Amino acid sequence: MSDHYIFSRGRLKRKHNTIYFESGEEGQKALPVERVDNLHIFGEVDLNSKLLNLLTKYDVRLHFYNYYGFYTGTYYPRTKNVSGFTVVQQSMHYLDPKKRYYMASAFVESGVHHMLRNLRRHKEKTGSYVDTIQAERVKIPDGRTIPELMGVEGRIRQTYYRSFNEILKSDFIFTKRSKQPPADPLNALISFGNSLMYTTVLAEVYKTALDPTVSFLHEPSSKRFSLSLDVAEIFKPLIVDPLIVSLVNNRVIGKKHFEDFEGIVLLNDQGKQRFIQEWEKKLATTVRHRTLKRKVSYRMFIRLECYKMIKHFIGDEPYRPLKAWW
Amino acid sequence: MYVIITYDVGEKRVYKVCKKLREYLTWTQNSVFEGQIGKGKLTQCMHELDNIIHPQHDSIYLYQVNNQNHMKKTVFGREKGFDDLFL
Repeated sequence: MSDHYIFSRGRLKRKHNTIYFESGEEGQKALPVERVDNLHIFGEVDLNSKLLNLLTKYDVRLHFYNYYGFYTGTYYPRTKNVSGFTVVQQSMHYLDPKKRYYMASAFVESGVHHMLRNLRRHKEKTGSYVDTIQAERVKIPDGRTIPELMGVEGRIRQTYYRSFNEILKSDFIFTKRSKQPPADPLNALISFGNSLMYTTVLAEVYKTALDPTVSFLHEPSSKRFSLSLDVAEIFKPLIVDPLIVSLVNNRVIGKKHFEDFEGIVLLNDQGKQRFIQEWEKKLATTVRHRTLKRKVSYRMFIRLECYKMIKHFIGDEPYRPLKAWW
Repeated sequence: MYVIITYDVGEKRVYKVCKKLREYLTWTQNSVFEGQIGKGKLTQCMHELDNIIHPQHDSIYLYQVNNQNHMKKTVFGREKGFDDLFL
């Protein structure tokens, strides 16, 4: 299964029972419909209902990003894995404050574990930051309300991002996290990475019976698929952040890959493509799983997380979030 | 697994085979397709091809590589297939 990223302008269509991408300069290219998992559309693309019907049949999701590379929406095929029982149980875990806090703190705890894991790689430079985060981390289990938990998470993340100044070799400097719009190159990288993370998680959640709108850490009322935001908390420090560090420190991405639109800094197309290339490699990396006793890719780890949550909701096995052991 | 499929079939069926393979693999050259594919999907694909060809006249060769690291591909001249991550 593979993902494709469309940057050029053109037309996606159904032809010969498969997907064709037609662009002015390069003619037509066929994509094997049996192998495509997600299509990410960054460019200006036309398509019609005939294509959507084909995509539904083969379970291909279309993700749309706006001109600035921010996620705007998804066309997802009629869900086939529906289970009313799971959704009811999931909602019940949201309604009970104790159960909700358990889930929310699990996401934060796992995210912090991965943040510290990143920082320990640069031990001599980041010692003081680790101590600050450790001091905050203690407050996670005995907090009482979700907003308090989010406060703890916010403070940890702030310290964490500030430590990037020690880790990054080039002249990328973190001053303040700014999103919508990002104000400097590092913020642009983080925003773009998180955008990709969000869609990847969403694509995996759709493959399970979970309802992506019922979330625990984030408020589910925010008109978004907030469960993906929750799960992304675990994976952002595990996947996005090490990727950014390696891209910057190995000089794969430099100052010339950014564009400044009067204070709004964004990756240009070449920068995005370099990022995505490494992103795909990272997601395909496999690790031997301790209990499954086979190799599992990072992408699959996201789905396994969903399965563990389902097991927790239906009362099969208590949820223990992923904590990278490798 | 990674597979390479080449076919030499009667003129009337060339297009049909090509069309079917386009659903599963990436076109590399005339009468050659290749790509990553699972066991089940491969069986399905071969079965569908089997219904198209005439066993007495046509032939399809299937090459399988279990570990892609064991395969080295060198292109001389123009590369006709395309890098399929970006479009």
